[in-house]
Amino acid sequence: MLAAFRSRWDSLPRALQIVLGRLALVIPQMFGVLLVTFFLIRLLPGDPAILLLGNMATPDAVAQLRDRLGLNDSVWTQFVSYVGNVLHGDLGVSIFTSNPVTVDLMERAPATLELIFYAMILTVVIGVVIAVVSVVRAGGPVDVASRIYGLAAGAIPDFWIGLLLIYFFFTLLGWAAAPFGRIDAMMSPPPYVTGFLTIDSLVAGDLETFWSAVGRLLLPVLTIAIVNAGALMKMTQSIFAGVWRSDFVRHARACGVPERVIIRAALRNSLPPIITMIGFLVGFLLGAAVLVETIFSWGGLGQYAVQAVMNSDYPALQGFILVASAFILVVYLVVDILYELVDPRIRV
Amino acid sequence: MTRSELDMKPVLSVEGLRVVFDTPDGDRTILQDVAFELRPNEILGIVGETGAGKSVLARAIIDLLPEGGRRVGGTVEIMGRQLERMDEGERRQVRGGQVALIGTNAKALLDPVERVGNQIVRVLRSHRKLSRKDAWAKAVKLLGDVGIVNPAERARAYPHELSGGMAQRVVIAMALITEPKVLLADDATLGLDATVSVQVLDMLVERSRELGLSVVLITHDLGIIAHYCNRVAIMRQGRIVEMRDVTGFLAKPGTPYSQELLDAAKARPVPSIRATASEGQPLLEVSNLLKIFAGSRPGEEVRAVDGVSFSVRRGETLALVGESGSGKTTIGQCLVRLLDASGGAIRFDGRDITTMPEAEFRPLRRRIQMVFQEPYVALNPRWKVMRLVDEPLRMLEKASAAERLRRVHRALDLVNLPTSHAELYPHELTAGEQKRVGIARALVTEPDFIVFDEPTTALDIRVRAQIIDLVRDLQSRMRLSALFITHDLNSVRSLAHDVAVMNRGRIVEAGPLEDVFASPKDPYTVKLLSAELAVEHEAEARHVHIPQPKEAMI
Amino acid sequence: MTRVPQALRRPAAVIGLALLLMQIALIVLAPIISPYSPMEADPAASLQPPSMAHWFGTDITGMDVLSRVIHATRINLLISVSSVALAFVVGVPLGLVIGYYRGWLSGLAMRIFDFVQAFPIFVLGMALVSVTGQEIWNVAIVLAVLFIPIFARLIRAEVLSLRERPFVAAARCSGAGDLDIMFRHILPNALMPAMVQVSISIGMAILLTAGLSFIGAGVRMPTPEWGLMVSTGAQQMILGVWWVSLFPGLAIVVAVLCFALLGDVVRDLLDPSRARKTKAPAGVALPVPGPVPGTLGESR
Repeated sequence: MLAAFRSRWDSLPRALQIVLGRLALVIPQMFGVLLVTFFLIRLLPGDPAILLLGNMATPDAVAQLRDRLGLNDSVWTQFVSYVGNVLHGDLGVSIFTSNPVTVDLMERAPATLELIFYAMILTVVIGVVIAVVSVVRAGGPVDVASRIYGLAAGAIPDFWIGLLLIYFFFTLLGWAAAPFGRIDAMMSPPPYVTGFLTIDSLVAGDLETFWSAVGRLLLPVLTIAIVNAGALMKMTQSIFAGVWRSDFVRHARACGVPERVIIRAALRNSLPPIITMIGFLVGFLLGAAVLVETIFSWGGLGQYAVQAVMNSDYPALQGFILVASAFILVVYLVVDILYELVDPRIRV
Repeated sequence: MTRSELDMKPVLSVEGLRVVFDTPDGDRTILQDVAFELRPNEILGIVGETGAGKSVLARAIIDLLPEGGRRVGGTVEIMGRQLERMDEGERRQVRGGQVALIGTNAKALLDPVERVGNQIVRVLRSHRKLSRKDAWAKAVKLLGDVGIVNPAERARAYPHELSGGMAQRVVIAMALITEPKVLLADDATLGLDATVSVQVLDMLVERSRELGLSVVLITHDLGIIAHYCNRVAIMRQGRIVEMRDVTGFLAKPGTPYSQELLDAAKARPVPSIRATASEGQPLLEVSNLLKIFAGSRPGEEVRAVDGVSFSVRRGETLALVGESGSGKTTIGQCLVRLLDASGGAIRFDGRDITTMPEAEFRPLRRRIQMVFQEPYVALNPRWKVMRLVDEPLRMLEKASAAERLRRVHRALDLVNLPTSHAELYPHELTAGEQKRVGIARALVTEPDFIVFDEPTTALDIRVRAQIIDLVRDLQSRMRLSALFITHDLNSVRSLAHDVAVMNRGRIVEAGPLEDVFASPKDPYTVKLLSAELAVEHEAEARHVHIPQPKEAMI
Repeated sequence: MTRVPQALRRPAAVIGLALLLMQIALIVLAPIISPYSPMEADPAASLQPPSMAHWFGTDITGMDVLSRVIHATRINLLISVSSVALAFVVGVPLGLVIGYYRGWLSGLAMRIFDFVQAFPIFVLGMALVSVTGQEIWNVAIVLAVLFIPIFARLIRAEVLSLRERPFVAAARCSGAGDLDIMFRHILPNALMPAMVQVSISIGMAILLTAGLSFIGAGVRMPTPEWGLMVSTGAQQMILGVWWVSLFPGLAIVVAVLCFALLGDVVRDLLDPSRARKTKAPAGVALPVPGPVPGTLGESR
């Protein structure tokens, strides 16, 4: 039986084995996420029903929710019904906005994703380019600058650099757009296609909105990239430098292979760990988004989470944690699959 | 060699080469006044110990010195053109195009995430304008020529899918693909099994002859020099101290240092004092030993040791000989209970230790000790020599601190280390001294039986000879019984009374050393012995008589 | 050993140590050198720009920014250092045990660590602090909980590689038992990377503490805390009032920088081969990098 499964499995193409193997791992992880968000609320002192409904709730409503959550049943029954609700897309009702949490989250997700998306691209470009140049031209100006930047970037709080950027580029110089939201308050957002204002406005052919969105993105994206590119750069540097010093690179050089071909090969070799780091970066950026969105009144998930914390809006917080973790698990899943695909040494 | 060949212009000539490295304490000279010429079709051997500057020389020839090194004097002339007169583009064309370098540890020289065929194509296309398809066809053909079976399929393999020997063949193919004029082989077969190493070197030399290449064989193994080379250059501390034809060198080395090297490379006579009391039961008796490891896939099993039996009497040394993967090290680990045997019995002094609980075995550890293979990694880097040698005493014997100190000093004395070394850390010692500390640790509890795991690998020729002499001395002075695990046949000749040849987990042939080595019966033993490039045999083949070394000083 | 080690004579090391001494001095002498009380509001002196009376200016309630920045050193370093100390004390033995004894329990522990680390650390910290209550000690404990997996995994990875090293086998042949091997042989060698991680983590903890307070999930007003102070100035920054946020932010940068520099010093001090670096002419092989340690899962 096992052997039969084994041989069937072996006959699958490598890429499919990788994807299936990883997918099988996500299920217990997702289960773990549900467990954590479930107990997050139950760990609090006090009645979960009151916590979830807020202090203003009527006794009737509390009794009703207690019943719906099955608070009188065993913990496991409660958990099963919680999982059931989540699977049906029911994350409860926000105390603060009075909307279903699912609706709130869906509404705000594109803002955060757009921010993270561009911040990510900028971070990776800055981090990887500086790292490669500093290693290939060791001791050169880029190398020296990278060392100072690497040290400084790790020490600068993102919320603080965001404020400084606003002060310099908006208040003092007046170059940047106002730090209030994703587009000019006078404009109406383009029709919803992807949720990314930059893309939707281009789809709608509305250049004015497009430039407004780009202008608003500039400072927050820069804030996130400045802080996070430093860490990515340092890690890429150490990985790439390790490959750069390795025997096969020196051997390629001794074989007369041109430098640019060697750089490409070395980069290809550094790719698997870099991909893993970029995966972690997404998690970091999500954390950074919480702070940066607050500063720029971005109206995304991060700001929603902060409001939830400030207002003790537990259903919203619970929902945010659940969605954020699920998002990150998906990112890690993709990263792991990519990692194994680009590294032929890994046996499935 | 005919007169006209000698008159031909050298393909490579090095004149007054001087290379320095910058260190925190200022420049350090690594190469000094190095001069030699490489003639067409010649195979020149360069031999020297670690730090002699052999590898730096090879890199200086292709103008790719390691970081921190620079050439401060002399010229390198390749095919009549001076390297220093070329621009960077031309120099790149020389590397791999006219002078190809083959390094040690082939698996590390290959790009791990690129198919090996593409790596050969990459080199070819760096030097010739050729379509990818044509280049691939040439690469596949060459892979076949360097002895890779099924080259079309193997070209698509990644380096981790190749054995060490195959990887070395691929690296050779990378060197030959551009049809260079000079091949620099820098310890190219170091770390390969002897049988594989000989096959690869044979192939390399044969190809070079066919293609009319000149070869520089850089090695620390005089056997390789004696077998393959026309001329030899002896390097020491950055200088060539002697350079002449190999036959002449074997007959009578020109400098005391060369003489010392040659002596060190020869086997010592078999220890004459065989156990006096050969009667009675053996000290160690292994019967039908079995060790099974789980394979890489569920349900699969690997029989690393498959029904092995042997015995060792007091005062006797048995050599367990075999190539990597033969299971010889596993047996050693079973003897000292680093691994638990899967079956069979190990009887030490009459007691079966195979199934004994650790608590019961512990007192026996004092009597059965092991010397580990790699000297540096077998010593805790944060402990001083004193503490390292003291550890077995503290753990296994109840002795006062003063008594222990006395015994540690005596153990250091036995292995010829000054007691002042007790205050040093392992990284402050040379490889030979580290090895001695390892031996001192094993000796300090005055054991009856010692397992030596590859005691002579990765050591320089002279250091190796010193360790062999040390062990010989201990054998005769302490009437030590030992199991000697090695692939180095030369050291077996010098140390063992009996020998057991292992292949794939089994002993294929065993008996007294003289019998097995003089008239091997098993085909594997024959193959193993024929792969040994012993200087004595090579000298005989060149009709040179070399005298036995006098008992060297330890 | 009277000579100052090479690693301590580098400029980065000198700066790092100087910054550390300065912060210790600020912590000890805070009440003496602060010109004003850190929590005393003076509505008459609201939002004063930097002047001789108020070097760093005043915030909206008229509290002296300089005095608050000085006093906040106590709170911020207290939280950061104690959280890392706690994580170290729990994480290191945990890592040692799950690295040395590999059973299903250590497998489970690893799965849990994977899982905790899969969450963005800031988001998780925010949720945990808001759930447990915004007290100084809760912040420290939550940070410690978040850092435990980092230390445990680091030590475990070291232990896994160290336990296969021949010197451990050699110790076993010399009669050393499990405890001897764990505590005398493996732990001292495994601790080194953990020491470097300590300084990195303190820097991280300072940033996280400040970040939490900044969004209102950390300590509360009027406690002097750098992140909180940046946030009180955030609204006015746009209007050109830069001093309220600038100075506490700078304090954060200096503090984190100090520990980052010290981390480098520790690394150089503890690694004998790096400290006595002489460029070896022989080809030193470097292993081809595998996956980054501490990624998800160990199934690779």
